[in-house]
Amino acid sequence: MTPIIETQSLTKVFGSNGAAVHALRGIDLTVERGEFVALIGPSGSGKSTLMAILGCLDKPTAGTYALDGERVEGLSGRELAGIRNDKIGFVFQQYNLLPKASVARNVELPLLYAGVPRKERRARALELLEMVGIPEKAKVLPAALSGGQRQRVAIARSLANRPALLLADEPTGALDQKTGHEVLELFVDLNRRGNTIIIVTHDLSIAAMAQRQVEIMDGLIKIEEAA
Amino acid sequence: MFNGAFRERVKNSWVEMRENLTRSTLQSLGVILGVAAVLGGFSISDSMRKRSMELYVKMGGLDKLNVRQSAVVREGAPTALQTANLGLRTADAVEGEEINSSEVHGVSVRKDARARVRSPYADRERDIRGAGGDFLALDGYDVAEGRGFSQHDIDTAAPVAILGTEAVEVFFPDGHAVGRTLRIGDTPVIVIGTLKERVFRFRDGQHNMFRWRNRIIAIPNTLVTRRFEGDNYHRVDRVTFKIPSLDAMATFSKALAGVLKANHRQQDDFRLDDVGARIRKQHSQGDVYDIIFLLSGFLSMIGGGIVNVNIQMATLKERIREVGVKMAIGAPGGEIFKEFMTEAMLLTGVGSLAGLVIGVGFSKIITASIGVPLHIDPKSFVFAYLLAAIFGFLFALFPALKASRLSPMEALRYE
Repeated sequence: MTPIIETQSLTKVFGSNGAAVHALRGIDLTVERGEFVALIGPSGSGKSTLMAILGCLDKPTAGTYALDGERVEGLSGRELAGIRNDKIGFVFQQYNLLPKASVARNVELPLLYAGVPRKERRARALELLEMVGIPEKAKVLPAALSGGQRQRVAIARSLANRPALLLADEPTGALDQKTGHEVLELFVDLNRRGNTIIIVTHDLSIAAMAQRQVEIMDGLIKIEEAA
Repeated sequence: MFNGAFRERVKNSWVEMRENLTRSTLQSLGVILGVAAVLGGFSISDSMRKRSMELYVKMGGLDKLNVRQSAVVREGAPTALQTANLGLRTADAVEGEEINSSEVHGVSVRKDARARVRSPYADRERDIRGAGGDFLALDGYDVAEGRGFSQHDIDTAAPVAILGTEAVEVFFPDGHAVGRTLRIGDTPVIVIGTLKERVFRFRDGQHNMFRWRNRIIAIPNTLVTRRFEGDNYHRVDRVTFKIPSLDAMATFSKALAGVLKANHRQQDDFRLDDVGARIRKQHSQGDVYDIIFLLSGFLSMIGGGIVNVNIQMATLKERIREVGVKMAIGAPGGEIFKEFMTEAMLLTGVGSLAGLVIGVGFSKIITASIGVPLHIDPKSFVFAYLLAAIFGFLFALFPALKASRLSPMEALRYE
């Protein structure tokens, strides 16, 4: 079976000649289907850049990247948007929910961009909210929710199009320890159901919950270890 | 494409607008003022135009072709041919009608004189109107009491007269004019009818523009010819043809010019005046006001549009993160573009509606203050709306394009 992620000598350079910053200096990373990987590293190590490229938010300067068997490094902005919509679910530290839309509509958003009809969208959103444990909050605005609940909404949203890959960037960074732990439990649970998850964190205790840790240092993979 | 994405965009835009009411109002101010200026200006000039149309209709209609005498000798001594020429005659009216009698709905002739008019109550020097054919109808007069001229009166140059309200007041202040005798010059004539008073005030409170029409003292034109200013050729001052059809009017006036010229020994001693064409031309000269109003509408829309772009660019900063999130979730640049455009167009639409309301109110106030009834051409609504839509669209393009071209990563990281 093809791996979900397969990169070869991925590099990313910001700026040009004189003041060039080499954020990534040749990353070879393979993530198999169903894996739960933690991407760790201090700030400035390049892990956010790697995450952006893996999430098709940014393009690598050089190297190859195959997502779910499809080469994506040369795709146009529009095609990348399609891939993000179809194959990737994002969970951010700051939840990034639309404040003026109800919880249900936030969850529906990726389905809307995918062109799913209204009724189906509504049904799928409720199903997802059920899965993350807050079905009763469908009609409220995000502002009325606690941090943990908001992150659950964000997770529900990320799962809307049944993505091949779930990318979580410091998903518990803004939560207290207890809630953070509950959210992590949700990730573990999702992984058990077959979702491939990459979680970016600098917290080693969180990384410990993943099956495999990949440490990034100065734009290179320093250590890869399986738990 | 139409799976509800459009509906969703409109809904989102509506929420966005409502939540930022002050900002939205400021943004649509240019559109509101522009639409109000265009609609208000147009409806005021339309109202004036409509009013002057009413004036001409009340004067007896626009569908008339007047033929008048015209001096053929401009300078020097007249030639023999010019001297021998007979000028405008009753025969011209008769022959003119024969050109196309089915389209000519009425012919009248006029021959005026000035004479001393005496009644038991007054003795004045007055203008006398010699009327022939369908004069009363073609000049918009209605008989109030008694009767109008019969064909017999005109054919026999009967000594009869019809008076306007002012003439009745002057010569028969007791109000009983019909059946009594009036001396015009040395000729006693019997008053056979009186006319209804004619009133037209262009603006409320203004003087009656038809005041002088009530001064009329009409007698058969044949009587004028015979007893006052006449000659053997039955010359007249004016011949009027009533022709309702525009097409017939054009061909008729050409044919008439030919016939008259032949009758008048090839002398251009007459002048054709197509009343409708003249009024339409006058009205088209009023178009300059429309252009001024349009220009002021344009300018306020441009000014408002620039303000709008500024506000949009400022709010874009607040919304960059939101754009980033949407892009991360899979919205392509085109979708972001459409969302921004939808919002701008919705704003323009609502703004134009407000502008239409204000414009109508504005023109109501103006027309009421100058005393002319308000008339709004539905086309003005459509035009003002279209103009606003075009400007709204053009000015929304820049911010929408800018938003749609953001890099998702930079947008997400924007603080």
